[in-house]
Amino acid sequence: MIVAVTLAGCSSTSMLNVPQDPRAELQVWLREPPGSAAARTADRLVKAFSARTGYKAQLTALYENFETKLQQQAAYRQLPDVVINDTEKLGSMQSQGWLVPIDRATFPGGDQIADRAWQAARAANGNYYAVPLTAHTFALFVRADWRAKLGLPVPTTWDDIVDMAIAFTTRDPDGDGRADTYGLVVPGTTTRGYMAWYFASYLYDNGGEFLANTQPGRWVPAINDAKGVQAAAWLKDLFCRYHVVNPDAVDLDTSRAHDTFEKNLGGIYLTGPYMLPRFVKSMGPSRIEVFPLPAGPGGGPNALAEGENVYLTMGSRNRAAQLAFAQFAASVEGQTLAMDANGNGPVVRLPVNTKVDVGAIRTDPRWKTFQHVYATDSTYVPSVPNWAPFRQMAADTLNGVMANCGSDVKGSLDKLAAQFAAELKRQNVYGG
Amino acid sequence: MTNVTGRRPVATSAPPYGAPPTHRTPASGRGARSRGGYDRPRRPVRRTRRRWVTALIPWMFLAPALLLFVYFKLMPLLQAIRMSFYDVRPYLGDRYVGFGNYVAVTTQPLFTKAIWQTVVLAVGTTGGSIVLGFLLAILVEGQARHLWLVRTAAFLPVVTTMAVVAEVWRIMYYPGRSGALNTLLGWVGLGPEPFLAGEHQALASVMLVGIWRGAPYDMMIFLAGLASVDRNLYEAAAVDGGERWQRFRHVTLPSLRPVITILCLLAALRGLRSFTEVFLLTNGAPNGATEVIMTLIYKLGAEQGQLGVAAAGSMVLFLAIATVTIAVNTWRRRVTAR
Repeated sequence: MIVAVTLAGCSSTSMLNVPQDPRAELQVWLREPPGSAAARTADRLVKAFSARTGYKAQLTALYENFETKLQQQAAYRQLPDVVINDTEKLGSMQSQGWLVPIDRATFPGGDQIADRAWQAARAANGNYYAVPLTAHTFALFVRADWRAKLGLPVPTTWDDIVDMAIAFTTRDPDGDGRADTYGLVVPGTTTRGYMAWYFASYLYDNGGEFLANTQPGRWVPAINDAKGVQAAAWLKDLFCRYHVVNPDAVDLDTSRAHDTFEKNLGGIYLTGPYMLPRFVKSMGPSRIEVFPLPAGPGGGPNALAEGENVYLTMGSRNRAAQLAFAQFAASVEGQTLAMDANGNGPVVRLPVNTKVDVGAIRTDPRWKTFQHVYATDSTYVPSVPNWAPFRQMAADTLNGVMANCGSDVKGSLDKLAAQFAAELKRQNVYGG
Repeated sequence: MTNVTGRRPVATSAPPYGAPPTHRTPASGRGARSRGGYDRPRRPVRRTRRRWVTALIPWMFLAPALLLFVYFKLMPLLQAIRMSFYDVRPYLGDRYVGFGNYVAVTTQPLFTKAIWQTVVLAVGTTGGSIVLGFLLAILVEGQARHLWLVRTAAFLPVVTTMAVVAEVWRIMYYPGRSGALNTLLGWVGLGPEPFLAGEHQALASVMLVGIWRGAPYDMMIFLAGLASVDRNLYEAAAVDGGERWQRFRHVTLPSLRPVITILCLLAALRGLRSFTEVFLLTNGAPNGATEVIMTLIYKLGAEQGQLGVAAAGSMVLFLAIATVTIAVNTWRRRVTAR
């Protein structure tokens, strides 16, 4: 019934015939906790935009159930004018007809934006539906003090990760005399498909793929090939054979996982550079090391590439301001401001504007690890028309594999591949 | 007043409330009837009118509430019925898909499992709450001041926000050795148990939270029920030599039957719609072990944007709830008629 209520506000007017008002306030939504450092940075970005252009704009930071709230706004046809959200949400938003297409060739300043970043703003139909804002990838955050205390080597193979995780679990790295630490912190809930998102880096790092590209715009399932099965079985061993993962992993979302790492409950956390300022502030600058994910036995090294785009939505009363905002956010001025060099709330992690001098802004060497991994060994999720169902299905399956230690990894992934094939056919991009 | 019967206007019609009875003259009122002849057809007219007025008045009092009900409940419901037959795309225009959404929702991999788990959760929570609530009610029945305090304390879970309850339980359920419940279990040499993180314990763990929260409510209803049991019956049973258990079995329980029935019905309906506790504690994980119909519908509609399919799921749930309500009511009527 909840769903029903949300639809009561529908009308049938065309989205494109909204009367324009250059003084209408631009609503900008950002997926960050309200009041957080990143939200404050974004607020400065929005205010700087208003000061520079004269357009009125208002930032709304939302974190919990961000997509759900967007869906509700969409059901009322009241989407915010600008949405700053993950690159991989592009398909889901575009396939629902929410997004204004962007002409990359004529977009002012578009030539300064890295080609790699533009690729993450392109939909399956070859058109661009967003302006890139920021990019990032994933690497291992390791407790430096724990590693030093136990005399463990820098991880260079997956076996090293296992050994380190076992040592962190069994050899009391915090020295309190209690067995209350774990090797890995894993956000393994199905909510927002986190389990699949977390697993993606290991999958790519082992040379595996969710979907294999057979020809431009066509895919077949690849999750159940030998490399995918090997990666999933390896992660399952950490859960079920060695018991070195935080015990509430299968219910844990990322915000709780951050807390778990901060509360000294785990020593290895695969996450993005956006967590670096927060962890440095809360745990001390010398207690965290960042290592690139070592290559898996089947391939690699590699990691999931992600980023955030500026999405302009249909039905805005101020299309000129929308475009001006995207332009400002991608400019050297906007990117530099949003990198929040001296604070701990970077909205732009790795800048997409090639004219930005990163070295001059980010002095912490740990950022360089991320920059290097992103530039050389990272992979975006497939640009199928709508990635969301794939991510959800993969999260459900992998959550089941990790939660049920009696599960058959190959059999589960075979079933997942069959679901992938059905979804590819539903989206008319099956290449088999 | 309109002439509802379509006959010629009759001056003797009952005046509306508040209007002075100016037309009631000896010629047209009661006095006229005694003259006989044409007074006979008048009587039904007057009665019909009075009946109409009496029938209309409660509706007028109800009107404000009804209007709100129609706008906020009935219209969305009708809208949902319409949506369940469409591929809903607010920005691209809806597409009629017939029963496609119903097929899609009922063939969801987790649909059957979710129905089964919804029923298990509803039955378990209902049963547990009633038994525990009843035991609590017997324990704290009485007038003493300390009992009043105990009753108030026991009622706290009911008035506490579900979000807070869920967070507290989530902390207590922490599956590591350092978790609150696992520490207790450790003292007696058990555990650590995974609770919410375990595929085979998650549903029972959610159920326990439901029982903990629902039992005090049931306790209050039982207390009211117990207070209304005729004391004479106890005395009579005691005089007849009834033991404590016999008095309970043959006096207390039968007197509480209506209370138990209404509690079962309310709790069963609540159970079928259970969402908040599951959403906050596990959101269906691990491995779909706590997926219930409402969380499935929520995921389809709000997370994946398949509003039509979610509406179809809501309709299925609506039919299930309507069926249960009608069945229980029919059964109750039969039992009372006996």
